[in-house]
Amino acid sequence: MTAGERPADASGTGRRAGEAGPDRSPVPLLRLENISISYRGHEVVHEVSLDVSPGEVVALIGPSGAGKSSLLRCVNFLEVPAAGTVYLEGRPVGFVQRRGRSVPANATALAEHRREVGMVFQNFNLFPHLTAVENVMLAQIHSLGRSKADARERALKELAHVGLASHADAKPAKCSGGQQQRIAIARALAMDPKLMLFDEPTSALDPELGIEVLTTMRRLADEGMTMIVVTHEMHFAEEVADRIVFMADGRIVEQGPARQVMREPVHERTKRFLAAVTDR
Amino acid sequence: MDFLRQWQQFFPQFLPGLWVTLKLTVASLVLGFPLGAALAVAVSSTRRVIRWPSIVLVELGRGAPGLIVLYLVYYGLPQVGLTLPNFLAATVALAITTGAYSSEIFRAGLLAVPVGQREASRALGLKPFKEFRLVVLPQALKFVIPPLIGFAIILYQGTSLAFAISTPELLSRAYNAASITFQFTAALTLAGAMYAVISLLAIALVRTGSRRDERP
Repeated sequence: MTAGERPADASGTGRRAGEAGPDRSPVPLLRLENISISYRGHEVVHEVSLDVSPGEVVALIGPSGAGKSSLLRCVNFLEVPAAGTVYLEGRPVGFVQRRGRSVPANATALAEHRREVGMVFQNFNLFPHLTAVENVMLAQIHSLGRSKADARERALKELAHVGLASHADAKPAKCSGGQQQRIAIARALAMDPKLMLFDEPTSALDPELGIEVLTTMRRLADEGMTMIVVTHEMHFAEEVADRIVFMADGRIVEQGPARQVMREPVHERTKRFLAAVTDR
Repeated sequence: MDFLRQWQQFFPQFLPGLWVTLKLTVASLVLGFPLGAALAVAVSSTRRVIRWPSIVLVELGRGAPGLIVLYLVYYGLPQVGLTLPNFLAATVALAITTGAYSSEIFRAGLLAVPVGQREASRALGLKPFKEFRLVVLPQALKFVIPPLIGFAIILYQGTSLAFAISTPELLSRAYNAASITFQFTAALTLAGAMYAVISLLAIALVRTGSRRDERP
């Protein structure tokens, strides 16, 4: 990206906001196009568009209720958008055209899409009846069809990678929150995802335990993983993300290179939000 | 100490009845619990042809007295050409009751699995059936085992209903012995004690089992 580039247009329309931003390859790894999401008639995301390039780390920030998590969850169709299209490597996913209308894809098609997208949840969501290594093995075997031996070898490798080789046979309940979240990261990475989604990965953790998770994520970013991170950790966003996307009221208000958005926000709403969260 | 002598005399006569009672309990549970699990899934089916009949079966099974279900199976079915011997009729009737009641236990167990578990499974690309079998079911079973054992104990006592269609279980043995000797109190207290000992043993077993479970 050029040094003089201004943060993305602040008009609040997602489409234009999505077109601005850092340089990227011709086909973005992920493209969200005019995504709207509603709960019981209440629209939480309004026509948001966002492109993510391979290797890019995008931090989604904003006040609660802004629609950040909903937008993130719609990337792997845990949330089904009311309108708009999700493209992974140029292919539209989650919907199939039938009689000129977009209808939800069946479970098999969705499962195939989800295998390519890793997700880490706020509450870890480890499987409590399985040990750490079994947590990491399960989907390798039952989604990807790897052999048990291969899955185990890979699982141990991923656990070692997040510094938890010694906890392979521990049940999640025996692990600290930070350890659980790192197991969850290992579980997602073992699937060889093209993209990792993080939904407030440290919000349920003590600051001290959050650090170990953030350190793991930082290393992942350094290794070139494409990541979208919904977070309230402003330091992390500024230091690790390539781009910060600020959302409020279901729209992208402002986006741009991380440092720029943090240090010289253009939009009034962004300034107010950053002032509120960095005061503490 | 007449009682003790009478009990001594009755006890060997009652043992075959206890055996029938235990067989009846186990048979009803073996048929009834899978029925209950199936009903639990069926009542939340999106298809009406599956959902409505199962809701009717569950509500009737829970709403109607067990004795009426028993009479319907034993006396009602022959009218449509299906005559069952009394042990089998009692098994079928108690299995229906078990299915109806346990379906609610299974349903609660499935609902008790946090929604995040399903989301994590889906995010990992597991298809719905594998999500159910590998993630939801193992956790739900853990929730349902204690209440299912509790129900099994109630059913064990409930098998005494089969007395009404002259199944030779424990209560009918006691009643027969009593009507021959007129020692109603001795016969019924012994039978009651035999029910109680096994029930209380089972309750104690559950309690130690669940206490062990609570430890991390």
